[in-house]
Amino acid sequence: MVDDGPIISARNVDFFYGSFHALKGINLDMAKNEVTALIGPSGCGKSTFLKLLNRMNDFVPGARLSGEILISGRSVYGPDSDPVSIRRLVGMVFQRPNPFPKSIYDNICYGPRLVGVKKKCDLDIVVEKALLAAALWEDVKDKLGKSALELSGGQQQRVCIARALALNPDILLMDEPTSALDPIATAKVEEWIKSAGLSIVIVTHNMQQAARVSDHTAFFYMGELVEFGPTMEIFTRPREVRTENYITGRFG
Amino acid sequence: MSPEAVLLKPKLSPTEHGARLFFLACAVVALGQMFLIMLFLFKESLGLFTSGTSLKEFFFSVNWYPTYDSPEFGSLALVVGSLTVTFFSTVLAAPIGLSLAVFLACLAGRTTREWVKPAVEMMAGIPSVVLGFVGLVVVAPLMQDILDIPTGLNVLNASVILALMAVPSIASLGEDALSAVPGEIQDASYALGATKWETIWRITVPAAMSGLSTAVILGLGRALGETLVVLMVAGGAAQIPHSIFDSVRPLTATLAAEMGETAIDSPHYHALFALGTILFLLTLAFNLLAYWLGRYWRRR
Amino acid sequence: MFLSGVTLADRQKREFLALSLIKILGLSFLFVMGTLVIYLIYQGAGIISWDFLTQFPRDSMTAGGIWPAVVGTFGLAVGSMFVSLPLGFGAAVYLAEYARPGPLLTVIRLGVNNLAGVPSVVFGLFGLAIFVGFLGFGRSLLSGCLTLGILTLPTVTAAAEEALRQTPASFREAALALGANRWQAIRQVILPAALPGMLTGAILALGRAAGETAPVIFTASAAFTMANPESVFSEVMALPTHIFNLATNGTHIEATRPQQFGTCLVLMVLVLGLSLIAIILRARLRKGRKW
Repeated sequence: MVDDGPIISARNVDFFYGSFHALKGINLDMAKNEVTALIGPSGCGKSTFLKLLNRMNDFVPGARLSGEILISGRSVYGPDSDPVSIRRLVGMVFQRPNPFPKSIYDNICYGPRLVGVKKKCDLDIVVEKALLAAALWEDVKDKLGKSALELSGGQQQRVCIARALALNPDILLMDEPTSALDPIATAKVEEWIKSAGLSIVIVTHNMQQAARVSDHTAFFYMGELVEFGPTMEIFTRPREVRTENYITGRFG
Repeated sequence: MSPEAVLLKPKLSPTEHGARLFFLACAVVALGQMFLIMLFLFKESLGLFTSGTSLKEFFFSVNWYPTYDSPEFGSLALVVGSLTVTFFSTVLAAPIGLSLAVFLACLAGRTTREWVKPAVEMMAGIPSVVLGFVGLVVVAPLMQDILDIPTGLNVLNASVILALMAVPSIASLGEDALSAVPGEIQDASYALGATKWETIWRITVPAAMSGLSTAVILGLGRALGETLVVLMVAGGAAQIPHSIFDSVRPLTATLAAEMGETAIDSPHYHALFALGTILFLLTLAFNLLAYWLGRYWRRR
Repeated sequence: MFLSGVTLADRQKREFLALSLIKILGLSFLFVMGTLVIYLIYQGAGIISWDFLTQFPRDSMTAGGIWPAVVGTFGLAVGSMFVSLPLGFGAAVYLAEYARPGPLLTVIRLGVNNLAGVPSVVFGLFGLAIFVGFLGFGRSLLSGCLTLGILTLPTVTAAAEEALRQTPASFREAALALGANRWQAIRQVILPAALPGMLTGAILALGRAAGETAPVIFTASAAFTMANPESVFSEVMALPTHIFNLATNGTHIEATRPQQFGTCLVLMVLVLGLSLIAIILRARLRKGRKW
């Protein structure tokens, strides 16, 4: 692993759904242990870019990519890389909480079990660490055997976070992780993001959220990366007119 | 209901009343049949036990000699025959049918699926007499030659043909169940670094378990109730089979073979209705099993 | 953080094996069925001709055609629909539109589902006891139609109820809000919208009735008739029973092989053709649906 270089770097990334040019010439470096927010109007390509980072676009028929994406110095789409091992390093949390219809414990253990961790004592440690890291341990430590579907929406989303963390990923991707949550649950998840100290990339349509939680912000518009910089600067002195229009609510 | 709640009841016009009554009558007739069927089966069965055959003999004797001078009506060999072919056909059909379901729901491309799914549904509609005929004129001689056995009309042949019948319905119902699993939890599995197979095996299949178990049991019920196939290819010997190359005489085959030549109201006639009752109760049990199993997996 | 016990290569090998096995099992089944259908077409096509379809059997069935069986099957299948469609559609309207959720509805639904799983031979017994014996219709077209009618009733009811439930609640509410009463809403708005779906179920039931054998043996069938049915009380021949009789009971089992294959092919084309029509109808319905 490269220690001081960017954790994610995108070089001249173009992406197509069939004939639709979804991303145009994206160049971007994201720093380690920082929160990067991707913002922009619907259909601007921010979610598409996020899903490129763990190859979740592989399932889309007719998807084509040119350019290069490096994560921790490894090429994500290189000839000797495969989606399964990339996704092992890059965790993801989805828009709507999607816990498996299994117990909380089994949800967290899913990833470790895939890579062959079988011993109960090892798994117990993993579960506790992951739930502690997701700030959920106190809430659920007495009901690990219960179905994850019985939890509230906010707790479910934190189970999903813990489930991703259990694999000890280099990066965590979050695709509008609070859009299905109530304000209190949203606040908890945001608080967690700020204090996690992990490399996190978060897509959000909520600009206040981006301003609150992120260190860097990237503004996407019509498939282009319009502006990328420290969040403070983007929100106070944007260089581009389009960025300013968007964050002041003139379109979008 | 709280005491101050008022029951809202619309005023009905005469036509409205009439229509409602008509539809209710249809529903009652549709359901009433079920009870009529049970009633007639039981009523006609009772005649057997008032004409000298004991319940114990009927259920536990393996001797089915309905046309002897002093006839014997023991159903055990026939029940065992039915259960044997049902069991072996399910052993064959379940893995193949479920594989086909997984193939269609999770592996096949969109175009393949659009063509193969209707084809599978059509296969489920092939009349059983046609498949029985195939078992009789194609599979039986083939089996006799290749395996060098005295008759190709046996448990194995019947199970193979019944499996051919059951696979399409298992596959079709199974595909529905697998396709209904939300894509989100499958995405979550991929995002955690699972391979396609790991996602299918650990997430999709368990989530669809309710529908899959129903599909298998309904396929099983179909094999149990299927008549023409076993009538034509099971061999027709009323005995407890010792190997899969023995002939058997399942309940349905007995009914179909003997009902035509039986005088109404003879002991034999009543004995056949008693077999029908057993069959009816067995299918009822399978239906309930499917229902409970479906609920059990849904609750998990 | 922890040592992984399984290498990626191992997991990929397992994946390859499992998916290959699934594909082999699934595809080999499709291959077997495909071969079987082609074999039946190949064996049966030789004898099919206009005469085969429209002439009576001759010379102990070793020559001539299958006309009375065609007529009988047509009569039985269509006749059974006169029983199952009105009753099934009526019951479905009750279940979908009038019944309130409660014990009655649960019992009716369980009953209908259970009936769908009852073996056809049991329906045959029932038909024999009630129509042939108790009501005195004898072995006849009428008894056969009634038996096949109640046999297909659960299928028709379930499909029709499903189609009715798929019409959006907004249709119903819009009609009721415009001052229609419940019956008017059903007749003018809901039934027309659901009708194609209900008919799809009916076509499938028609195919099922045409292919049924055991109940027909009990309630309607003659091994051989020289004339077409004169009334609903006549015995009739039918395609499925004709195959069965020729292949197992006949005096010239080997000599009538071509007739057996030919009848199989005719029956298959008939039944599969009907289900093909139903499938196409359903696909068009899904595509054309605007709601």
